[in-house]
Amino acid sequence: MTEEIKYKVKICTGTLCHVMGGAELPALEDHLPENLKSKVIVKGMVCENYCNETDLKPPFVLINEELMQEASIEKIIQFIQNCE
Amino acid sequence: MNNYFIEIGNKSIQKNGQEVCGDVFMSRKLQEEGRSVAVLSDGLGSGIKANVLATMTASMALNFTVENQPIERCAQSIRNTLPVDNDRKINYSTFTILDIEYDGETTILEYGNPQFLVFRNINPLELNDTRESSVSELEISHFKAQKEDRIILFSDGVSQSGMGRADMPFGWDWDDLKDFISHQIKNDPQISAKRLSDIIVNRAFLNDSLKAKDDITCSVIYFRDPRNLIICTGPPYKMDRDKSMVKTLSDFNGAKIICGGTTAQIVSRELDKEIEVDIFSGDGDLPPVSEIEGFDLVTEGILTLGRVSDWLENKNTSKIDYKGPAGKIIELFFKNDIINFLVGTRINEAHQDPALPVELEIRRNVVKKIAKILDEKYLKEVHIQYI
Repeated sequence: MTEEIKYKVKICTGTLCHVMGGAELPALEDHLPENLKSKVIVKGMVCENYCNETDLKPPFVLINEELMQEASIEKIIQFIQNCE
Repeated sequence: MNNYFIEIGNKSIQKNGQEVCGDVFMSRKLQEEGRSVAVLSDGLGSGIKANVLATMTASMALNFTVENQPIERCAQSIRNTLPVDNDRKINYSTFTILDIEYDGETTILEYGNPQFLVFRNINPLELNDTRESSVSELEISHFKAQKEDRIILFSDGVSQSGMGRADMPFGWDWDDLKDFISHQIKNDPQISAKRLSDIIVNRAFLNDSLKAKDDITCSVIYFRDPRNLIICTGPPYKMDRDKSMVKTLSDFNGAKIICGGTTAQIVSRELDKEIEVDIFSGDGDLPPVSEIEGFDLVTEGILTLGRVSDWLENKNTSKIDYKGPAGKIIELFFKNDIINFLVGTRINEAHQDPALPVELEIRRNVVKKIAKILDEKYLKEVHIQYI
């Protein structure tokens, strides 16, 4: 509990991200491995229009302000593990 | 002159095993005359036969009253017209007629239905200005309704619900029923007519252990100031109208809903207010709701509106999940009388991709559909403004 939150995961809740798989992402908290559980916080964000940039694909997630496209629970966990 | 908005809500459940309900409720607004007329009729027996009796009774009573015909004539005509039941060799249906002037002057005619109730705040009124008419068993009452009064009508399916149970051998005790209603109004002093009638009927249904022993109907007539709601969805066609859209929203006096991420962004930017997303408030199928200070509800746009439209059209109102984003919008619709749509018509290019797993409708069409349902099925006053 005393451990510091190191990763802030913000999930886009816009229409497109939602239908393209973003709907599953709030479950991320339940899938976090033990070593990350207390370091990650999951939040929502309103659509920032990343989807209107043609070369990017939804769903989008910001991890400490770094943009991830085509996000999935596995990809997010992988990304954070690599940072550890 | 005090003029009220009159909200009318009604809910019926048919007797277990029947296809249709033998209680019929009808109402009509006579805008030019400044009055509303409503009739609740309970046909003899249940099922189709009862429904036919009740429908004939209700529509005749309604039309006679609208034409200001004397009640004796009306009762006589109904009696002469109703078909005679083959088994019982009688024709019969009970009715309650309400004639409400917009200044609150109310006349109530009762024939055979359980006594109506009037709730002023949380207490039932004792009405002593009741007299017998020359037609036997017909009771006529007059009273002057005040703002926040509620008139509640029942069919005997409500008062007799639970009959035979050890704890309520004679049905729903009249005083318990009154207490139950007081309690509901106390909990939510602004409870809509629709919601209150839903709650009362559902409770009676529960008294019958979810197998209605008779047709159960409750109608609520609620006198109050009209309530305004604005629902803003979609960014304006031209960006230079963003400011005026947000100004319309902030100047609006009433409940406010924002539907759409981009729309929420615009409001947040113009008013310099943070958007808080509650990521766990979605209902699985729909994206979650957010919060912006000063707004009653902020939701996603097209998916949520599509669900609202679908539910309003097809779903039994008592089965709606009022905790989810779409249910919250519907609840606000029901709580308000004048619904204003402020619709931005800019098309979101990203939604037009044919590779999407679901079809995303054009916002304008969904709004039009919702507006039509609210107007025709729920008798709301609806305005649409495109920007």
